[in-house]
Amino acid sequence: MRHTQEHTVTALVHNEHGTLNRMISLFRRRGFSLSSLAVGDCEEPGLSRMSIVVNADDNMLRQCVMQLEKAVDVVSVESLDGKEYVHRELAFIQVEAPPEKRSEIIDISRVLNCEIVHLGLKTMTVQVVANARKIQGLIRLLEPYGIKKIVRSGTVAMSAEE
Amino acid sequence: MEALALHGVDIIFGYPGGVVLPLYDEMTRWPAIQHVLVRHEQCAAHMADGYARSTGKVGVCLATSGPGATNLVTGIATAIMDSIPMVAITGQVNSWAVGTDAFQETDIQGITIPITKHNYLVMDVDDLPHALVEAFHLANTGRKGPVLVDIPKDVFTAMSSVPFPTEIVRRGYRAAAATNDTAIETAAKLVAEAKKPVIIAGAGVVWSETHQALADLAAKADLPIINSLLGLGSIDRQNERSLGMMGMHGEAVGTLAVQEADLLIGIGIRFDDRLTGKVAGFAPNAKIIHFDLDPSEFAKVVETTLCVPGDLSETLPAFTAAVAPKVNDEWWAKLRGWQEEFPLVIPDSAGLMARHVLQLLDRTTNSDAIISTDVGQHQMWTAQLYRFKRPFQWLSSGGLGTMGFGFPAAMGAAFANPKQEVWAVVGDGGFQMTLQELQTAVEHKLNVKICLVNNGYLGMVRQWQELFFENRYSHVAMGSPDYGKLAEAYGVTFFRCSTREDLESTFQQARAADGPVLVEFLVEMEENVFPMVPAGKANDQVQMDPGLPNDKAPMGIPA
Repeated sequence: MRHTQEHTVTALVHNEHGTLNRMISLFRRRGFSLSSLAVGDCEEPGLSRMSIVVNADDNMLRQCVMQLEKAVDVVSVESLDGKEYVHRELAFIQVEAPPEKRSEIIDISRVLNCEIVHLGLKTMTVQVVANARKIQGLIRLLEPYGIKKIVRSGTVAMSAEE
Repeated sequence: MEALALHGVDIIFGYPGGVVLPLYDEMTRWPAIQHVLVRHEQCAAHMADGYARSTGKVGVCLATSGPGATNLVTGIATAIMDSIPMVAITGQVNSWAVGTDAFQETDIQGITIPITKHNYLVMDVDDLPHALVEAFHLANTGRKGPVLVDIPKDVFTAMSSVPFPTEIVRRGYRAAAATNDTAIETAAKLVAEAKKPVIIAGAGVVWSETHQALADLAAKADLPIINSLLGLGSIDRQNERSLGMMGMHGEAVGTLAVQEADLLIGIGIRFDDRLTGKVAGFAPNAKIIHFDLDPSEFAKVVETTLCVPGDLSETLPAFTAAVAPKVNDEWWAKLRGWQEEFPLVIPDSAGLMARHVLQLLDRTTNSDAIISTDVGQHQMWTAQLYRFKRPFQWLSSGGLGTMGFGFPAAMGAAFANPKQEVWAVVGDGGFQMTLQELQTAVEHKLNVKICLVNNGYLGMVRQWQELFFENRYSHVAMGSPDYGKLAEAYGVTFFRCSTREDLESTFQQARAADGPVLVEFLVEMEENVFPMVPAGKANDQVQMDPGLPNDKAPMGIPA
């Protein structure tokens, strides 16, 4: 087994009937392991920009970029490896929070620059915007309180100004 | 229909049904476009494919929604694996009913995503002109391939004032990778340094119509040319520098040459596993140069010393100009030695064998016919023994390996080339998958001849069971109908031959007959294809033909 690690790639794609399906099909068919995929509108109408985190060795990553470039839907592909780039993911973590535990959770959130976006009778929902590793760290810190639900947006990424 | 006429489409292969009725109605007003009514949609796709492979033009097939569309799937998958330009048009249920599980609704766009170069579901008639024109553009440019356009019934009947675009500019679509002059110069240097160079030329040469540049290149630098299965025809087999096909059942000389070569130039090939054998043992001593327009093929399978991107129509002539003239006499002496030592064996047996049939097919047609095959032993023997002269003469399902392809593909070729002799070489297995098209051939008095090599087995599967499963024949004996009666029922001219004595006269009669002709050759049941590189083994494990006239080691390369 060759050494694999996570690589971030962005792709500018035509926003047409079947585009997302075709992209996903490409990853499934070629056996590329997706860690994260986020898609949204971008600066140009009719196009979307995808942020893709793929778990691959160097050769697979190369193939992945080549196959993406070949797809008729894709306008351009940028592999962010070795480049300066920003990347963030948003997550909501709903955690059990009886009144006596609330202040502890608020402390943790404050230290990590998180926001409490919902406060209920028995739970709190923490919003975190960070890289995937930091989100993982927060989850570990909140686990002792009892995590009810997690939802994550997937990583969005952008290369720094050229 | 206007879009089809616009693209010079003169024939489409299809089958009507509920949601394509409006299109079929419109067809009556377009007499210049011939419609061939098939008996199964799979064959419409294979005919469009055969049309494309024999002309270099886009083949068009048409089916209704639901089962009509799904029946195309095997044909579309066959086309994508071999990069065949094809446009498949399917009907879809009314746009407002899409997604409701309506009668004969299927998500053909979703189903064909992995097997098309691109596909469309056109929900708005104003998008239709662009989609159709773009479909032809994508199918026929760069690395070619099938494109499917799914059109709901109400979109067929709606009117649009949007004109057909005269030019397609699709952002991000690169037909071919940009050329790189430095790479070409480096490649020329490697040729100058090489002592044992070989070219493996593939279907890329056929489709870019660069066969002349290839022949010029080989002549200038004295290079031997080996073909991949689908590259046959990219060099005249009777050209002195052609060494025939290599691969699992390629001629020994090609396999041995690649094992020993110090420079391998792959041109328009994709290093398929049936060619490379176990990759670790492929061309162990060679630097590898790879010419291709599709950069995703570079280093996909084999590690490459040098990639030369770009359309072969640009890179090959430039490469030919860049190489210095040279001769490789020593290398050729070795190659000629192997050719002499390990020729293809045609047994001088009393009984009729498939190889007798296929060798005579080549001789009697003067190597000039358009030949299609199904998949299996007869396909390999045809590839070995037929001496193809030119591109677009050889139609065979190489990548997908589709049984049932041969006969309808030959029909597509016969529709496209009415003045040429067209033969489908099929086995008793594959022919029984699509023989219902005999009726279509009869209706059109189509000049297509079927060379049915009947050995009563799924021969290639039987061969594997013999060699790798200790002769345990499991479900490979294949019964057949009385083909004489079958031909009579369809009204097809029929000949049967079971002896070597009758072989020549049978071919003469079959060639002289008009319209569809079925010729059944009853051959030796347990004949094997050699040479053979067992699946998953490296090419140095090639098993030579045990029937070689001398007592050379039948297994493995002699030290």
